[in-house]
Order: sequence, then structure tokens, then C-alpha cells
Amino acid sequence: MLSVSEMLKMRDKLRKWREENYRNSEQIVDVGEELLNEHASKLGDDIWIIYEQVMIAALDCSRDDLAWTFRFDAILNDANKLYDSILQDDPTNTAARKRKISILRAQGKSSEAIRELNEYLEQFVGDQEAWHELSELYINEHDYAKAAFCLEELMMTNPHNHLYCEQYAEVKYTQGGLENLELARKYFAQALKLNNRNMRALFGLYMSASHIAASPKVSAKVKKDNMKYGAWAASQISRAYQMAGRGKKENKCSVKAVEEMLESMQITMS
Amino acid sequence: MLEDDSGVTKKRTLQLSSMSVSFRSHEMGEVELSCLAYAKMYLHASQFPRCSVNGLLLSSSPAGGDVCITDCVPLLHTHLSLAPITQLALTQVDAWCSQTHQRIMGYYQANACVSDSSPTPCALKIAEKIFEQCNNAVLLMIDGEKMFPGCRVPPIVMYERKDARWALKDKHTIMLRQWEETCAIVNQLFSSGDQALLVDFDSHLDDITKDWTNQKLNAKIMELISPANGNV
Repeated sequence: MLSVSEMLKMRDKLRKWREENYRNSEQIVDVGEELLNEHASKLGDDIWIIYEQVMIAALDCSRDDLAWTFRFDAILNDANKLYDSILQDDPTNTAARKRKISILRAQGKSSEAIRELNEYLEQFVGDQEAWHELSELYINEHDYAKAAFCLEELMMTNPHNHLYCEQYAEVKYTQGGLENLELARKYFAQALKLNNRNMRALFGLYMSASHIAASPKVSAKVKKDNMKYGAWAASQISRAYQMAGRGKKENKCSVKAVEEMLESMQITMS
Repeated sequence: MLEDDSGVTKKRTLQLSSMSVSFRSHEMGEVELSCLAYAKMYLHASQFPRCSVNGLLLSSSPAGGDVCITDCVPLLHTHLSLAPITQLALTQVDAWCSQTHQRIMGYYQANACVSDSSPTPCALKIAEKIFEQCNNAVLLMIDGEKMFPGCRVPPIVMYERKDARWALKDKHTIMLRQWEETCAIVNQLFSSGDQALLVDFDSHLDDITKDWTNQKLNAKIMELISPANGNV
């Protein structure tokens, strides 16, 4: 067991090695492990960067993979205990609370992370980062309806953010069905209005319009309108790729692939 | 969608197959994984260590023989389970394959959560789609826990279609000589900084001047392969 001054010396050593990019991995693991196992609570904000440093060093040392996993878990659990103690002293420490949720996510405990985030958002309803994190978690869990809800919150408070529009459109497209496809198309278009260089939005507009136009369930007018939108998007895509491909030999492949895709979808639509 | 490209790329297969790792299986025949495909998959997973990543496995060898994964296309590192970009990527890769006499014959994924390398519903869905067009399709999961320098086994778990489900494939022998050289090549890519050349489809959409077919990186890897390759 180290004295406090010895512990501080070790912590400073680790910092020096980090800053000067030393690859003395064996030493880092020995020093770091002891610090993390015995003195996690005294490391403060350094704990994350130290455990990352130790992780990388442990990889370098080619430790047995099982042992490494257990150690990784142990370190995360230690970090968790640390944040619990912080929150006991100061329940309003949002940083600690969010870091706890990141730990859950890193451990693959998605449902717990979702639950904690929902609780967090009940209190801190304006936290954009948290809403976005929650939408990502829902997307990974294939819960698209709830992901859409989170993105709707984000779009309301950030109406000029093209990324939220585009992500919302992608979720709607994934949910499928004619109504969702039309919504998707509208939001891809909105994202493009906000940022006309968002390629995902442009492709998304092209694909949703093409799918709607190709659907047997739509009226002749809807079909015609969507073919127009699709054709417009296709021309924009072509133009963007022509400009990108100019003078670059290696882009020839991707340009050709796009052209062939646009051609083949034209055939299926008509 | 898939063409019978018998004989066309025989030469390329010969060059690549002497730099490969073999997985043998009783039922389905041998599956070879070329150095090029392995290196790019590894680089892709390393480039986005905190994300799930995925990509497509390609073959330039004729359909209906032994399976040889000769190349791969790294696809996404965000929102793997959302449909539009995945569909877009599949369509474009397909178009590129028919231009270059290759076919899509598999799918790979590395999970963000390193301790769990089992196929996600998204992985199974895409693999299923590929299987519809290619009856010896493989699903490859990268085992993040084994991705450290000096690991003696390839960080790979392979699945094949058997009895209407995806079953673990037996891996019998690994050619150590070639495996060591493959590892050396991957290490070389990291030391030279060339691993940063890797472009996946997601990065391409962020900047369409970037080449998702990775011509530049492919050339670097082939350069590293050829001195070791006995075929002159």
C-alpha cells in the first residue's frame, strides 16, 4: 500500500510518460494497475486518461486476452464506484452521472444505459448531448420509434441542424412503409435546404423519392412528383461526383459506380 | 446481380492465394482469406475502436469452387442498423463488383463492445441478403478481444449457412508462415502510418473525393506482399 506522496509521484510519472509518449509498457501497466486498483478514488479526473493509458500498455505487453478483459471490467467497476462516491457527495454532478452512463454503454449494458439516460433526461431535459446519446442507443437496439422521438426533441430545439434532420429521415426510411418514406423524403429535403452539401441527405432524397415513385400504391400525381424529385436529386448527385472526380484518377471507380446505380434505378422506375 | 466470372481473374487469385490464411471445414470446403482482405478489415476495426464497424467481403474467384475472399470493402462506422446508407452502399459496391469481375460473398462486422463478438440482428439481416445471391456466403465477426499485437490466432469468428441458420464454422489449420507475414504486413502499415489511408463508405460520404475502393491503400499492401511472394 502506497503512501499518499508515493501515490502522487506515481500519478505524475504516468502523466510524464503520457505527455512524452513513452512506450515503456511494462512499467506503465505495473504502475497504472496499482494506482487504479488501490487509489482510484484519489485520481480525480485523471482516472479516465490513466485507464486508457494502462489499457494501451497492456495491449502492447501482449497479456493473456482473458486476463485483460477481466482487468478491463475491474477498472470500469472501479471507475463506477468512484463516480458513485462523487455523486453521493454531490448529486448534481452531471459529468459524473453521464460518465457512469458511458461506462454502462462500454460494458454493453444498453438497457441499463437507456434507463439511466431516461431518468437523467427527466431532470435535465435540455441536455442535447444526452438526447443524442439516447437516440444512438435506441437506434442500436432497433427501437426506431423511440429514436425518432429523441430526434424530434433535438430538431425542435435545434431547427437549423441539418444532421438531426438527416438522421431523423434515415430512421423514418428504416421504419418503412409509404407514410414513413414520404416523411423521410421531406426531412432529407429539409436537411439539404439547411446544408446543400450533405451527401447522405441527397442520396436519401433520391432513394426515398425513387421508392415512392416505384410503389404500386401511389396515385399518378404522386408518382410523377416523386419522379421529378428523384430526377433532380440524381442530377445533383451526378454533378457532385463529376466535380469530385475531376483530376483524380482514383475516384474513377466510385464515379462509375454511382453512374451505374443511377442508371439502373431509372430503369426500374419507368 | 452476380456473374459467373470463370477464368477471368485466375492470375490474380494465384498471386493472392499464396498470401492467405486458411480455414478448413468438412461440409462447406475451405475458405481462404487473403492478406489484402484481412489487412483492410483489421485496419477498419482499428481506425474506429469505439464504434461498431462493418463491411463487405468480395471474391474474384469463380463461383462454385472453393471460397476465396480476395478483397473487402469497409462500409460503415455509424448507424449500422439504419437502412438507407446500407442499401446505398450495397448497390454501389454491387455496381463496382460487376465492373471489376468480383462478387459480394460475405459480410464482416466488429462490435463496439469488445467482449461480445456475436452477430447482431443487423449482421444477420445483411448476411441473409447476401446469402440470397450467393449460396456459400460467409459471415465474419471480428473478435476485438484478440486484436492485440502478438496474438497467435487471427481475431476472427466465421459463420456459414447450415440448416437455415448461421452456424459457427470449424477452423482447423492456420498456415503459420503466412499468418506471421500477414501480421508483419499489418504492423508495417501501422508503423509507416499508411493505416490512415483506409477509407470506408461512411468517410466517403463525408467527403466524396475520398475513394472507398481504396486503390491507393491496396497498392501499398500489394507492394508489401510481393517481395515475400515466391511467384515472380
